[in-house]
Amino acid sequence: MIKTVNLTKKYNDVTVLNIEQIEIPKGQSFGLVGNNGAGKTTYFSLLLDLIQPSSGYIENNGVLVHESEDWKPFTSSFIDESFLIGYLTAEEYFYFIGDLRHQSRADVDELLSQFEDFFNGEILKQKKYLRDLSKGNQKKAGIVAALIGNPEVIILDEPFANLDPTTQIRLKQIIKELAKTKGVTVLISSHDLMHVTDVCERIVVLEKGEVIKDLETSPATLKELEAHFSGLASTEKMADLE
Amino acid sequence: MIKRFLSFEWKQFSRSSYFKKGIAIKIVMALAVLYFAGMALLFGGALYFILKKTLPEIDPMTTVNSYLLYWFLFDFMLRYFMQQLPVMNVKPLMSIPVKRNTVIYYLLGKTSLSFFNILPLFIVVPFTTVLVFQGYPVLQVLSWFVSFVAITLSINFLNFLVNKNNLVFYVVLALVAVLGVLEYYAIYKISEPVGYAFNYMYAHPYLVVLPVLVLVALFKATFQFIKKGFYLDDAISKKVKEVNSSDLSWLNRFGAVAPFLKNDIKLIVRNVRPRQVMMMSFMFLFYGLVFYTQETYREMPAILAFASMFITGGFLMTFGQHVPSWDSEYYKLLMSQNIPYKTYLESKWYLMVVAVLFSFILSTPYIYFGWDIFGMIAAGAVFNIGLNSFLTLFGGALNRVPIELNVKAKAFSNTNGFNPTQLLIALPKFLLPMLIFYVPYKLINFNAGLIALALVGVLGIALKPYIFKLIEQVYQKGKYKTIAAFSEKQ
Repeated sequence: MIKTVNLTKKYNDVTVLNIEQIEIPKGQSFGLVGNNGAGKTTYFSLLLDLIQPSSGYIENNGVLVHESEDWKPFTSSFIDESFLIGYLTAEEYFYFIGDLRHQSRADVDELLSQFEDFFNGEILKQKKYLRDLSKGNQKKAGIVAALIGNPEVIILDEPFANLDPTTQIRLKQIIKELAKTKGVTVLISSHDLMHVTDVCERIVVLEKGEVIKDLETSPATLKELEAHFSGLASTEKMADLE
Repeated sequence: MIKRFLSFEWKQFSRSSYFKKGIAIKIVMALAVLYFAGMALLFGGALYFILKKTLPEIDPMTTVNSYLLYWFLFDFMLRYFMQQLPVMNVKPLMSIPVKRNTVIYYLLGKTSLSFFNILPLFIVVPFTTVLVFQGYPVLQVLSWFVSFVAITLSINFLNFLVNKNNLVFYVVLALVAVLGVLEYYAIYKISEPVGYAFNYMYAHPYLVVLPVLVLVALFKATFQFIKKGFYLDDAISKKVKEVNSSDLSWLNRFGAVAPFLKNDIKLIVRNVRPRQVMMMSFMFLFYGLVFYTQETYREMPAILAFASMFITGGFLMTFGQHVPSWDSEYYKLLMSQNIPYKTYLESKWYLMVVAVLFSFILSTPYIYFGWDIFGMIAAGAVFNIGLNSFLTLFGGALNRVPIELNVKAKAFSNTNGFNPTQLLIALPKFLLPMLIFYVPYKLINFNAGLIALALVGVLGIALKPYIFKLIEQVYQKGKYKTIAAFSEKQ
């Protein structure tokens, strides 16, 4: 579904991302982990054509992302709050996204009804603008909006951050279901190793812009990731000592 | 502590993004400031002599005193619109040991040094200096000066207390309108008793204590007002406004652009900054009153053409020039959503067209000045729709300054949309209609000028699909730059 080839992104000669090759098949739930500055958000921004690659390309379902806009109809995303329109209510926002994705009000309502649990009564019919919702509730609205219109690719940056434990668990179920039963390709990034190993079939570890691990998730994955990141911490300490 | 605050203030100022603009802009800005300051100084210095010459039988001081009321009312209104109440990021200060009073004193001190308090000094200081040199009693002039400053500062704090309360503003506005009309038709001249009061104060210098007392009282009141609001509650629990949702489904008939139109209307109604722009654009309607009433301009139809275009073009220019910036807060969403650029731009165009038509309807009273004038306004409206709207959209592509929607524009520190390219784009908007009107007018006659103006507009409308393609390309080309600029925190 998504093919990344020789992709690099440089800012003033500093390479922040350098991916030789990643291929994500349709229906895979794909997790991206890495410390701050590893290049996760950069990669997602490139996937959405928000920044220009310095070299290489991404192909989304056969469409060259940085050359054509044809990937937009089947791709949706929630990266951060700048994907919300602050002066709309949650409903208005959902209907707006619905309009853009050619979904009638009834379609949107039907989709929303599936997420009543997830919203926990704090999103719909609140008579509040999105900008006045709490960070966590904003995130919920943004994530659900990304599901409107049956997208084939969903990109979520740090979806678990700012959510309460109950919602995190519900979100994990939602993501798993999307990938398993509907064949949606889901890309998420996270700092929480436990969550990603729980949700994703495949986990890629980025470090300073490069892929250093590409794992098929198994019961041992979490241990391996933990060992890797604590190893990073201790090697950094060693470097400091020297 | 105050010293530390001042250094924060300086850092905030010198590190703000608009300051990092090119040296050319800084020079232009500095020149503009110097120009206005110079003009104010000149005016202040010359005021005495002007009044002496035009009204030789009345003491200039008396004339000034009788119009002082209008000055203060105007000052109040201007502040209401433009003066940014001092905002200090108090949240980080709450948890560290700084005396609350220190912070408040600092805040109040900061407002006293506002632009709006400094500017009058540029007029009043030379004026009073001239008075003294003209042999007016020093003590009286000095006490008058102190009273003036005290009243100005009182208005400053009053504005704080009123705190953008609309009701108070409209009351003041109505008061000014009523008093102005009564004064103009010499039914009741409010300036007389008030002028008398000011004169009396001038004649009895010890009365200077009155305005000073008022100032002290208002200062105290403001101090208490801030102190009461100085709690974490207010900082954390933002005031949440109830939503006023309205059904805009009637807009669905516009097809593909409907979702955007609905959004844009909500954008304007629900956010402070666009509302402000809306009000401003309303003011443009009265532009004609300045030009059509002056005999001198009657002889200069090119200038009139320029004014006529402004009457219907207020919204187009004030709102349109910030076109992608209005959506800067969620631009990434728009760029990654299933949206063709063209539809997005088209919806903005429709909005501007509707605004021009609406202003045109509102401008019908100008028929009073004759059908010639109204014909001009009509031609100007067509020109606005057919050409200026495109020029504005085109200029927007080069405008990459993000806008915070729910924050009032700061007076004179807001350089949004002020850059050389923007200026270059703006020039044809003013000069073209004058030129297009003037050439046929000179060669043939007045009506030919009007027809030429309208024809250009019609031509623009006819070529819309083609022009839109061009504009879209420009936007598409600048996409990454625009996204990057909009995601910069201000």
